Amino acid sequence: MARSKPSSSKKQPKRGVDFKKIKRKIGRKLPPPKNATNTEIKSKAIILPEQSVASERAGLAVSKKGLTLKELLQQTSHHNAKVRRDALTGIRDLVLKYPAELTLHKLAIIEKLRERISDEDKVVRETLYQLLKLVIFPALKKDVPGSLISLMMAYIFNGMTHLATDIRLMAFKFFDLVVQHYPSSFFMYAEKVLQNYEDILRKNHIYLQDRSKLKNALVGLVRCLSLLPCNRRTVDPSYGKNTETQGSLHAYELEVPKEHTDFSSIIKRLEDILPILVNCFQDFIPLVHPMSSLDAQSFDCMLYLLRSIDLSVKFFLYGIDKHQTDFGVTKPTYNEKDMPVWGEIATPVFLRKFLEVFPLNQLHNTSGKDEDKFFILNIEITEIFLHSNEWIFTSAILMERFLEFIENLLSGKIRFNSRSGKALQEKHLTSLLPFIPRLVSLVANTWKSRLLQAFTMAFKDCKPESTLNLAFLSAIEEMLLPSKRQGILLLDASEPEILDHQITWIRELPVLLVRLGDTLSSLSKVILHLLLRLGQYAPMNSSLAWEYDIMQHTLGEFYSMCLDDGSILYGPFMKLPKDCQELSVCCLYYFSSLDSLLLRSLVYCCLCDNLEPSVLFRIIDVLHSAYKIGHLQLVDLISFFVTLVARWKVLPGRLYTHVENAKKISNRETFKAITGAVCSCLRQMGDDALIFQIVQRVILDEIPLNPPIDNLCGMLRLLVILDSRPTKLSEQSIIILSNSISEYLIDAASYIPENGDEVTDSNQISICQYYLVPCFFLFDRSDKLLNLVLDLMGSSIGEDNSSLACNHDTQHTLDLSSRIVAVVSILLYMHQDIKIRRRLSSCKGEITRILQKMRLQVYTP
Amino acid sequence: MEVVIASSPVDAGIGCWDLHSGAEQLRYRSCTSTPHGLACVGQRFLASSQLRDSSSSSGSILYWSWSKPQVEVKSFPAEPIHPLVSNSDGMYIIGGGSSGAIYFWEVASGRLLKRWHAHYRAVTCLFLSDDESLLVSGAEDGCIRVWSLFMVFDDIGMEMAKNPYEYSFSEHTLRVTDMVSGYGGCNAIIVSASEDRTCKVWSLSRGKLLRSIDFPSIIEAVALDPGEHVFYAGARDGKIYIASINAETTSSNSYGKHIIGTLSDNSKGVTCLAFSKDGILLVSGSEDGTIRVWDAKTHNIVRIYRLAKGPVNNVLVVRRPLYSNRQTSENSHSSFSRRHAPLLPPPLGKYVNSTDENVDSGAVSVPQTPSSDIMDAPYLSYHVLTKQISELQVFFIFLS
Repeated sequence: MARSKPSSSKKQPKRGVDFKKIKRKIGRKLPPPKNATNTEIKSKAIILPEQSVASERAGLAVSKKGLTLKELLQQTSHHNAKVRRDALTGIRDLVLKYPAELTLHKLAIIEKLRERISDEDKVVRETLYQLLKLVIFPALKKDVPGSLISLMMAYIFNGMTHLATDIRLMAFKFFDLVVQHYPSSFFMYAEKVLQNYEDILRKNHIYLQDRSKLKNALVGLVRCLSLLPCNRRTVDPSYGKNTETQGSLHAYELEVPKEHTDFSSIIKRLEDILPILVNCFQDFIPLVHPMSSLDAQSFDCMLYLLRSIDLSVKFFLYGIDKHQTDFGVTKPTYNEKDMPVWGEIATPVFLRKFLEVFPLNQLHNTSGKDEDKFFILNIEITEIFLHSNEWIFTSAILMERFLEFIENLLSGKIRFNSRSGKALQEKHLTSLLPFIPRLVSLVANTWKSRLLQAFTMAFKDCKPESTLNLAFLSAIEEMLLPSKRQGILLLDASEPEILDHQITWIRELPVLLVRLGDTLSSLSKVILHLLLRLGQYAPMNSSLAWEYDIMQHTLGEFYSMCLDDGSILYGPFMKLPKDCQELSVCCLYYFSSLDSLLLRSLVYCCLCDNLEPSVLFRIIDVLHSAYKIGHLQLVDLISFFVTLVARWKVLPGRLYTHVENAKKISNRETFKAITGAVCSCLRQMGDDALIFQIVQRVILDEIPLNPPIDNLCGMLRLLVILDSRPTKLSEQSIIILSNSISEYLIDAASYIPENGDEVTDSNQISICQYYLVPCFFLFDRSDKLLNLVLDLMGSSIGEDNSSLACNHDTQHTLDLSSRIVAVVSILLYMHQDIKIRRRLSSCKGEITRILQKMRLQVYTP
Repeated sequence: MEVVIASSPVDAGIGCWDLHSGAEQLRYRSCTSTPHGLACVGQRFLASSQLRDSSSSSGSILYWSWSKPQVEVKSFPAEPIHPLVSNSDGMYIIGGGSSGAIYFWEVASGRLLKRWHAHYRAVTCLFLSDDESLLVSGAEDGCIRVWSLFMVFDDIGMEMAKNPYEYSFSEHTLRVTDMVSGYGGCNAIIVSASEDRTCKVWSLSRGKLLRSIDFPSIIEAVALDPGEHVFYAGARDGKIYIASINAETTSSNSYGKHIIGTLSDNSKGVTCLAFSKDGILLVSGSEDGTIRVWDAKTHNIVRIYRLAKGPVNNVLVVRRPLYSNRQTSENSHSSFSRRHAPLLPPPLGKYVNSTDENVDSGAVSVPQTPSSDIMDAPYLSYHVLTKQISELQVFFIFLS
C-alpha cells in the first residue's frame, strides 16, 4: 500500500476529468457534518454538605460524634493510631447506648476488632482490651457461639508469636480475658496455648526487666491451670446436700458425659512447661538474696510461678489417682515405673532440686513487710511439697526443714506482722490443714508427736467463730474415724500418745459447741455431725467409745443447766435450727448408757414452751429406740416419760371463749399427742406388769405436787393403759389416788355440759369425756377406789361444816355451793354411763351419805 | 401352695396360713424369732434365729421341716444372730451378728464358709439382690453396705481393693429397720427405712442416694410394689404409708412430700410387710399380734390372721411344696422322697475351719429337694454334686 500511493497520485492528472476527485489525506478525520447533533454530555460532581445525609441517619444508632457503627468499624483499620483509638472508644459509647446493636452485629464487630489484637500501638491495644473486658464480653456472656471465640483465637495466636515483645505479652492478656469469660475455651486450645507459654517463659531473661508484663502473662497461666481437674480437698464435707427433687426416679435421664477432653496432650505440654517454670523461679532467687527488699512486681511473679507449679503438680496427682481408681486397685505409690502414664517419671528430679531452695530468706532480717512476703512464698512452697510428698522421696534433712516450718506455723511461732496478717495466716493455715492427717500418718514417731502437739495446741487456741475451725474439724474427723474412701484408720489409736490427743479433741468438741452458742449454726452442724459419726463408728468397747460416753457429762450443758437457785439456763440446743437439733438428738442414741443427769437436762428442754413439738416427738422416739437396744435404763426412761407428762405446761384457757385462744387449743392437742406417744412407747416395752409397777411408783411421787388437771389426766391415762381388770394398783396407791381423783373430778365437773337437752358445744363434750374417761376406767376396775372417792367427795362437802362457825363470809358459801353443784353433776354424769351405773349401785351407802351431807349443808344456814 | 408364715418375739411358734384360702396350716412350736430372723431355706424347711437373753454369749438358729411342728435341728453360732437370709435355692444361709459380723454358711454341710467384719454395730437387716450376686446389709448405726459375694470370697482381691464393700451409705442417722430391693440385679434400686423417720431410695448402679422421704412416724418395714411405682412403708403409728417412686407428686399433701396415701385400720404399729408373688396382696404384721392381708389395689383388708398376744415381727410369703399331691401322682418318686424327706441338714458350724478342706463328703447330708430344679442352680459346691451323682447311681441300680 505504501508504494501504490505515490503512483496513483501521479497518474490521475493524465486522465480526463469525468469526476472531480476529492483528495483525501489518509489518516485524517472527516470533519463532522454540518447537520450533526452534538450528543456530548458534560457533567460536574456535586459535593453535598453533611446536613443532607444527617436526615437519613435519624433512625440509626450513632456514637457521640455522630458516626454509625459501620463507619466506626471502618475507622478501626485507619492508618492513624489516634483515629483507631477514637473509633474504639466510639464503638464503646455506641454499644453502651444501644446494646441491641451489639447482639445484632456481634460477628461483624468481633471480626473487625480482632484485627486490632496485634496493633502496633500500645494505647490502641489497651483500649481494645478495656472495650472487650468491660463492654463486649459481659454483654455477650449468654450467647457466644464457639465460632466467635475461634475468630478471636486465630488473631490471639498470631499475636502470641509476634516479634514485638509487647504485643506478645498483650496477646496472653487477651487470652486470659477470653478464658476468664469462657473457661471451656481453654481446653479447646490448651495445647497450643501451653506451647506459647512455654516459648515465652523459656526466653524469660528478656522479660525479666519488664516484670509487670510477665506477671500479667503468669496470671493467665495460673487461671488456665486452675481449670485443670485436680483432687479437690473440700473443707466442707458433702453431707447435708440436698438430693435433687426429680419426680420420677425411673425416668429416662439425659446425661452428657462431662469428661470431654483428652488430657494426654495437655499432660505432655505440662511436662515440658514444669521444668521451665522451675527454672524461671530459680532465676528469681539470686535477685532475692542480695537485695535488701523484694519489690512487689517480682514478688508477684514468684508467687504466680509457685502457684502454677502447684497447680500442675496437683493435676499430675489427679491423674495418678484417677489412674488408680480406674482399675480399682491401689498400686504401691512409691514405685514410679509402674505408672507409665501421666508423666511423673521426669518430674521428681528437678522438683526435688527446686524444693531444696525451701526456706527462703532464712538469714535475712529485713523489714516486717518483707518477712510476710517470704512467709507467703514459703507457705506456697510447702504446699507444693505436701502435694508432691506422695511421689517424691525427699531427703530426711529437707523433710525436717518442712516439718519444722509446719510445726512453727501451727504453733504460731511464725506470724504475720502486717495488720491484715491474721486473716492471711488463717487463709494459709486452712490450705495446709487438710494435709496434716496424711502427714502425721506417714512421718516418723518423733515428728508425729511434735506435729500432733502443735496441731492440738492450735485447735485449742482457735477462737470458736474462726473459719479455721472447719478445717480443723475435717482434719480431726479424718484422724479419728475410719475414712470414708479407704475404710481404714489413719492413726493407730492403740498408741497412748495418739489416744491422748484424740481424747483431747473429743473433749474439746462439746465445749466448742457450747461456746459457739447459736452464732454459727453451720459450724455447730459440722461438730454435731462429727459427734454422730464418732458415736456410730467408734469401735465397741474401745477407749474412744468410752470417751464418747464420758462426753455426755459435758454435753448436758448444751441442752440446759439447772442453776443453784433452781432456775434453768437453756443451752444452745434451744436456739439452733431444727436440723441441728435433730442431729444432736440422734447423737443420744449412741451413748452406750445414757446418764440420768443428761436426761434431766433434756427433760428441761422438753418442758420448755419454745421447743417445737416435732423435735419433742423425735426425742421420745430416739430415747425409746435407745432403750430398745439397751442404752437406757428402764427406770430412767419411765421417769423421763412420767415427768414429761406430769410437768408439761398446758396453757389454761377455755376453749370456747375467744378466737385468740386458738393457739392454746393446739397446745392441749399437742399434750394429747405427747400422752399418746408416751402410751404407745410404754405399751411396746414388753412386760406390762413390771412397767406398771414402776410407772405407778413414779406417778405417786408426782401426784402430791398437785399437778394441773391436764397433767393429772395424762398420768391417769398412763395408768389406765397399763392396768388390767381387776386393778393391779396397790392399797396404798389407791388411797393416795382417791384423794387426788376426788379433787380432780370436782375440777373436771366444770366441763360437764349443764343441761342435757341444750345444744352445747361438741368441743366441750369431748373435753369432758377426755377428762372423765380415765377415771371411769379406774372405777370400773376397782370398787374400792370408787368407794373411797365417793367418801371423799362427801366429806369435802361436810368438812366445811366444822369450819363454818369461824368462816361466815359469802365467798365461802359461794365456794361451797359450787362444790355441791359439781358433785351433783359428776354423780349425774356417772349415772349416764352404763358400766359405772352398775358400779354405783353397789355403793348406795356412800351416795346416801353424800346426799345427807348436802341436805345438812343446804338447811344449816 | 403360697403360704404366709409369721413369727413373733414371744413364744407363739411360727404360724402358717394358706394365703388364698386362709386355712391355717401346721404351727411350728417354740420359736422366739429376732426381727428379720425368719427364713425359708429353698422351700425345703424353715430356719429362724432366736432371741437370747443378753447373758448367753452364743446365739441359736433353729430348723423346722414343713411336716413336723417340733424343732428338728438346733445350731449355736458364736454370737447372737439377728437377721437371717437364704438364697433362693437354699444353698446358703447368711446371718448378721450382734457384733457387726456377717456369717456365711453352706447349708448342706453346715460349714461356716466365711465370717467377716461388716459393720461397727449390730447388723439389723440383710437381703440378697434378685440375681443373688450382691448382699446388702443394714446396721444399728444407720450404715448400709453393699457386698459383692464374688469379692467376699476373693481373699487376694479383698486385700488389694480399697474397700471390701462395693458401697457404703451412711446417710441414715439411726438404726436401719428394713430394706427392700427392686428388680434388675446390680442395677436395681433399694429402699431403706430407718428410725430417723426417713426412707431413702438408693441406686445400686450409681451408688448414690436418689431420694429421701420424711415420714410422720418411724418406719419399721418397707415393701416394694412389683411395678416399682410406689413403695409401702409400715409405720409405728399403725399406718402403712404409700410413697411414690415413679410418679410426679405435688408437695402439698397432708402427710408430706412424695407420700400419696395410706392403708390404715387404726391398729398398733406395723412391724413387717411382705408382698405375695402376684403383687396384689400385701401382708402386714402388727404389734398387736395380728397379720392383715390387704388388697393393694383396692386398699381393703382381705383377711386377718391371729398369731399371738405379743407382736409379730416377721412375715414371709413363700411357696410351700405340695407333698400330698406328689405322693398320689408320682408313686415311684414319692417313695423315694418320703424316705429322705425328713432329713434336714446338720447344724451350722460355729467357726471357720480352714483345715477341713479334705474332709470327705461322707459326713455331708444332702438337701432333699422336692423338685430337681436344684440341678441347674448356678453355684453348686463340689460336695453336693458328687453326692447327687452317687445317689443317682444308686437310683439307677435300684431301677435295673
